[in-house]
Amino acid sequence: MRKSIITASIASTLLIAVAFGGYAQAKPVDLDLWLLQAVTEAGPPPDDWVGYKIIREKLGINLKLTLQPSSFTDQDTKISVAAASNTLPDIFGVNRDLLIKIAKQGLVAPVDSLLPMMPKRTETHYSDPMRNKLVMVNKKMYGLPDPGAMDRVEGLVIRKDWLDKLGLKVPTTIDELYAVARAFTTKDPDGNGKDDTYGFGAYYESSNLATAGFGRRFDYIMGAYGVAGTWNFESADKFQFNVRNPGFRKAVEFIRKINEEKLIDPSWSAPNKDEFRARWKQGKFGIWWEQFAALATQANYKDFDNNFPKGEIIPILPPKGPEGKSANGLDTANARIYAVSAKAMKSGKGPAIAKLLEWMASDEGYYLCGFGVEGVNFNKDAKGYINLQGIDPAKAYSTKAMQPLTQLRNMVYINNDIELAVRYPTYKSANGKTMDPLGIWRFFKNSPYTQAIGSSLVDPPSNVNDFTRYYNENLVKFALGQQALNDKTWAAYIKGLDSLGAKDIEKTAKAKLLDAELLE
Amino acid sequence: MSKIKSHDEYVFQLVANIFLGLMLVVVLLPLWRVFILSVTPFKYVDNSFGLFVNPIKWTVDSYAQFMSHPSFLIAFRNSLIIMFGGLAINLFMTVPMAYALSVRSLPGRKWLNVVVMIPFLFNAGLIPGYLVVTGMHLQNSFWAIIIPGAISIYNMFIMRNFFAEIPMDLKEAARIDGAGELFVLFRIVLPLSIPIMLTIGLFYAVGHWNEFFTPILYLNSNKLQPLPVLLRNILMGLNTNEFVEYDTFSQVSVQSLKAASIFITMLPMMMVYPWIQKYFVKGSLAGGIKG
Repeated sequence: MRKSIITASIASTLLIAVAFGGYAQAKPVDLDLWLLQAVTEAGPPPDDWVGYKIIREKLGINLKLTLQPSSFTDQDTKISVAAASNTLPDIFGVNRDLLIKIAKQGLVAPVDSLLPMMPKRTETHYSDPMRNKLVMVNKKMYGLPDPGAMDRVEGLVIRKDWLDKLGLKVPTTIDELYAVARAFTTKDPDGNGKDDTYGFGAYYESSNLATAGFGRRFDYIMGAYGVAGTWNFESADKFQFNVRNPGFRKAVEFIRKINEEKLIDPSWSAPNKDEFRARWKQGKFGIWWEQFAALATQANYKDFDNNFPKGEIIPILPPKGPEGKSANGLDTANARIYAVSAKAMKSGKGPAIAKLLEWMASDEGYYLCGFGVEGVNFNKDAKGYINLQGIDPAKAYSTKAMQPLTQLRNMVYINNDIELAVRYPTYKSANGKTMDPLGIWRFFKNSPYTQAIGSSLVDPPSNVNDFTRYYNENLVKFALGQQALNDKTWAAYIKGLDSLGAKDIEKTAKAKLLDAELLE
Repeated sequence: MSKIKSHDEYVFQLVANIFLGLMLVVVLLPLWRVFILSVTPFKYVDNSFGLFVNPIKWTVDSYAQFMSHPSFLIAFRNSLIIMFGGLAINLFMTVPMAYALSVRSLPGRKWLNVVVMIPFLFNAGLIPGYLVVTGMHLQNSFWAIIIPGAISIYNMFIMRNFFAEIPMDLKEAARIDGAGELFVLFRIVLPLSIPIMLTIGLFYAVGHWNEFFTPILYLNSNKLQPLPVLLRNILMGLNTNEFVEYDTFSQVSVQSLKAASIFITMLPMMMVYPWIQKYFVKGSLAGGIKG
């Protein structure tokens, strides 16, 4: 009896060992990931990247990374072709419009069932209901919306050294802003004896329905009249195109006035961001709207710093309009979306995908994908903050050569303090002033913004190009004085929008936003 | 009478010269402007609308920025492989077919011409092409770029017309002396077809050098990407520098880098073109006369 018990025990132990051994040595799952690369010029992680080994040995996954093309258009093309030929990879980054389209075609799978398999990742990445709405089709999530870019990153800035030289105070209303712009234009704020400066600087950057009009560089002016953004989201009753609001015409009249009086750099009507940024760095104007990192990180600030070592740019609150309204910009939802192909889900790769993403949300995955190998590429303190003490400078995670090691960082970043502190460090400018890009961001973040989260959900109409072209071009003509601006011409403009289906667009958008509970 | 004629000719020549001179200016000015921009330091970028550049203010930082990129040489090598490899395949496929279709006694010649015309007029489209390439497992190899465009019907027709214009007597004489068709092609026709070979070769080479879309579709490995894709990635990186703060980005202006990227991609073709220009005109005209 005892012998048979021992025999049975040995047999069962062997059986368990074989079973678990078999599990441990099971053939790894192949996962094909098309990555939205973090640094387009850097290239993929090398073949001997330690992450591949960890993922294979710990997770049982053979990860095959493909970097997507660098531009959104090329990404869309590549994914569209793969979708049309039913050769989508297992998991891939995709923009929202294309995701919705291929989700409706049944080419991507709902991912709701994966969330319970990755509780930590769900908590850190997929717990924002507003962001999740971006990937919803018929109440199901068809994508994994990772936290995208930081919010409220743009705002109004002014040349403080010019204000000081002319003895002016920081403007707080639209009228004061106008007076300062006039002084910047006429009183030689840079003291070079030449009439070569303007009050305002901007460029026309409207590109789609959500940013129709003059584009975001004029948001602080539109905001002063309560009409920042394409839509009026105040309530369901008031939901409509902002152009129907009387304040919109007043804002257009203001822009027309500063253009007529040459208080704005005349290059504004050209859609050229590079030229715009070159011109503020060359001291051509003193009031503009800018993204905080494009303004203040060392790489971006250095040209201005070299040209004007004593120059100083400060963020200011957006000006208040006649009714006391103000806005620096629009609150919108954004995300970096990854989708799982229906083919991958059908072939049972869902759990492996969840396992990979959950690992990326673990400390090991987070630091490895976000900053490299601890002790080699970075060190961290007790609170988890990153530093480079004792690290070989050539191998620091922030150097150009090490960028391939952290190409997956946008899949792990969640815009927490650890990341922000290393992404936007403080430094000293030429005049010894401490530059704090994050301080500027926090200033913008606490300034008034107009709620427009639903704008990301409004599906463009079929004639969106004709519609936005008419919408934008006429506004620019009004502002440039190429078209009279009076009751008759304004009514004709609105009528023209209606003839292009403005009322239908409003009706469809309203129904969708009510359904998504983004209007009350 | 002859005096009036020569006066007319003089006027015509003068007008033609002025017109061509203006055309030259129209073509060269943007190129010159791009070049100036590419060598202008950031501080002076705004003033670069001037057409002349002060040598004291020159900088080659933009070019250095591209060429110091670790992948630049690899991408350059890839572009050369695609260009020369593609060119060899193109000529290998185009020349025999063009010659065969130029031989009037070829049985079924009309029918073959019709068959050849079908894909020329009706393109199968992107998706079927993608399916064929992926079905043949050509992805991630240069074959995916080269084989789908192995022969251009348009170029083949130009070459066929050129071959057809070579005096029949020369070919007949060779055949009477016992030469086979390969001998006629390689020893009689091709030596007389240098202009068209160089012309069509240039068409193909330029197309391959500028390959951008198909590498994006089919080459997933960065190690295989050609120069236009790398330059695009570098430029796109500049556009994202507002979101990150790593020491990866340019120390020169975006405008200068864009201009330099244009020049870098144009340069090899600009160097080659003058040497074969005299053949180019002759080849394209001669091949294009007959329908």
